[in-house]
Amino acid sequence: MITERTTIVSRLAPLLACLGLLGIWQIGALFLNTDSFPSALDAIRAIPSILGDKESLINILASLRRMAVGFSLAVAVAIPLGLMMGRSRAVASFFNPLLMVTYPVPKAALMPIIMLWLGVGELAKILVIFLGVSLPVIYHSFQGAKAVEEKMLWSGAAMGLSAAQRMIRIVLPAALPEILTGCRTGLVLALITMITSEMIARQSGAGNILFNALDMGQYDTVFAMIIIVGAMGIGLDAAFEKLRGRLVKWSEPQFDMPLSFS
Amino acid sequence: MNARALTTDILLGIVPIALLIALWQAIASFGYAPVSLLPPPGLVFARLAEQLLNGTFQREIAATLFRLFAGFSIAVVLGVAIGLAAAVNPAINAVVRPIVRVLAPVPKVALYPALLLLLGFGHGSKITLVAADALFPILLATYYGASMVEQKLIWSAMAAGTPRRQILFKVVLPAAVPSILTGCRIGLVISCIVVFLAEMITSTEGLGHLLVAAARTFQTVDMFVPLITISLLGLILNGLLQGLRTYLLRGFPEV
Amino acid sequence: MKVVPSRPEVQAESAPKSGREPAAAMIEINRVSQVFRTSGRQDHLALSEISLTIGDGAFVSILGPSGCGKSTLLYIVGGFVNPTQGVAKMKGKAITGPGPDRGPVFQEFALFPWKTVLGNVMYGPRQQGVKREEAEAQSHRLIEMVGLKGFENFYPKELSGGMKQRVALARTLAYHPAVLLMDEPFGALDAHTRTRLQNDLLNIWERDRKTVLFVTHSVDEAVFLSDKVVVMTRAPGRIKEIVDIDLPRPRRRAELLLDPRYQKYVVDIERMIDDTSEDGLRP
Repeated sequence: MITERTTIVSRLAPLLACLGLLGIWQIGALFLNTDSFPSALDAIRAIPSILGDKESLINILASLRRMAVGFSLAVAVAIPLGLMMGRSRAVASFFNPLLMVTYPVPKAALMPIIMLWLGVGELAKILVIFLGVSLPVIYHSFQGAKAVEEKMLWSGAAMGLSAAQRMIRIVLPAALPEILTGCRTGLVLALITMITSEMIARQSGAGNILFNALDMGQYDTVFAMIIIVGAMGIGLDAAFEKLRGRLVKWSEPQFDMPLSFS
Repeated sequence: MNARALTTDILLGIVPIALLIALWQAIASFGYAPVSLLPPPGLVFARLAEQLLNGTFQREIAATLFRLFAGFSIAVVLGVAIGLAAAVNPAINAVVRPIVRVLAPVPKVALYPALLLLLGFGHGSKITLVAADALFPILLATYYGASMVEQKLIWSAMAAGTPRRQILFKVVLPAAVPSILTGCRIGLVISCIVVFLAEMITSTEGLGHLLVAAARTFQTVDMFVPLITISLLGLILNGLLQGLRTYLLRGFPEV
Repeated sequence: MKVVPSRPEVQAESAPKSGREPAAAMIEINRVSQVFRTSGRQDHLALSEISLTIGDGAFVSILGPSGCGKSTLLYIVGGFVNPTQGVAKMKGKAITGPGPDRGPVFQEFALFPWKTVLGNVMYGPRQQGVKREEAEAQSHRLIEMVGLKGFENFYPKELSGGMKQRVALARTLAYHPAVLLMDEPFGALDAHTRTRLQNDLLNIWERDRKTVLFVTHSVDEAVFLSDKVVVMTRAPGRIKEIVDIDLPRPRRRAELLLDPRYQKYVVDIERMIDDTSEDGLRP
């Protein structure tokens, strides 16, 4: 497997990468020298004013809250469903085609329709996030459950575990590494779905701030928001990885594909 | 799977979709929801069929498809190239890995306003966004596939006289194809999704734009049509890719 | 389709331990057949009319070439697989599912990777309702017995193959099954580890002489370990011959390898297996 030598350089590498990218941006902006492409420094300077502005801050926090609710609900439903699909051929055959059909539908695209039905409140946005996160979590739970070694379950049965107990006490922990990979993808998706749905249904939230700034020609703010959203993504992902490491420290190192869906 | 099990699987699979459509029909016909909010499936599918034969609609589909393919192709070329390079060259690896790790969890759609500023509201911004989003899974899958190539395969080729510089194309790339195709599949779905969303956010043409335009004028039926169209497109393209995969991977052991 | 060994009582038993009653049938396998449905192609007859009795305290090996259904037979006794025909009984009662009276030890170890060595071994007793302190104490003793003292808090991924198999053995012994079902347990290990574990297994077994059903494809392993060797034909698996291994216990590898009786057993049984005829019943 691909292992990382934890030298000081490799630890700092992501930080260096960030700085490098910002540097390229700065140089590119100075080169192009147009109003519509502010330099990295200009954008960074605009950040405190956004975070300092009470209304914007409330908006951003509200976005995060919606994300958290949608994510939690999705995980609570998707993991049991995925596990059952993984262990029962009948259940899998029942849900698979339905999931495959809904997979390519961008959940954020359902916003206008859902807004038509549920109005413009919290529920609509949470629902969309719920739908978006469910899919990867179901899929990974399914794969994880399927891959559980038969002999492990037999060992459990010989020890006297009932079918339900085997599901909770063997299948679930055994599939946990894969499930958490699904959750990680789900987390990224939650952020994306949230931003996108806010861009489409412009009421409040980070996506709305972005486009308002665009409409009003406040280009510094636009790019500052991009950095903020980017930082949210990176921050959430890093925090999740830490958590994941703690929860499944017993597992063989897995290759993670941080997949980005919209 | 033998024929018996396969047919049971298919039948079992159609049930939920059929149920969903039946439920849809039931809600509509029993009047639980006004037609303006939830048109009956019959109406929607009829309109879909009608639109598919309509020249204007076809042009919209063409616009969406064009952006989709352009972005996807760029993502494939860049993704495979960078992925392979990073897998075989430690120096490139050292540079690429941290950049990918940093950028992967960033929602690329947040860059969309910036792209609009730089590239305008036409095809360019959408193609770039599609490419940016589809790039990562393809790159990662290529990298993964290329680094997992069994050392013994490479040694066999070298013993047979293959010079070092050809190993990449004659051994590593072919051996990585299954993984690359998996990444492409994910990238394709992402491309469908992203192009649709980008068109919804700002556009003057394309399927996404049609949905938003219909929403503004409360034409519910016309809202469902582009949504179902993009789903169908996604399914068809996915099927084509699977076919390509089966063809390309004829000789490989069952993965 | 012949019915197997003509001897009326096909008993496989060891000398009863002092104080015990004459060895009773622990496991009875009655005309068991197993058919597997395979994808598209014809159905596969894995086992054909197997009848076998195994007495209490006997160490019985099931030996045969790959694909002869020996593991399947073990799984049927374990209750993990239901026979297509026939019935397997334990102490007179039909076997319908797995249970702590028949403990498996698998070639793939099948340890719970999210639990430490101690956690794995404690699992069975805790499941049986044993209190935590006692289960822990019991488990510590077992872990020491299998030679892994000091490794209690290690995770399976940190252990070598041989160590994992020791944990698997300790884990199964922890819930005191009357019968041990061992499915080529040393097959995935290198030769040196294998011989060490064979010795250790016999030492552990000597303590309370459980009934053991041991599947293997290695002739010398079967002869070294067992009281009886059940030789099976290739698929469809039938019992070709049951060989009594009349060698004294405790068995020491160094002595046995030089013992002409041991050598003769190995040679004879290998010849039996090589025999390519379908029904290799000796007159």
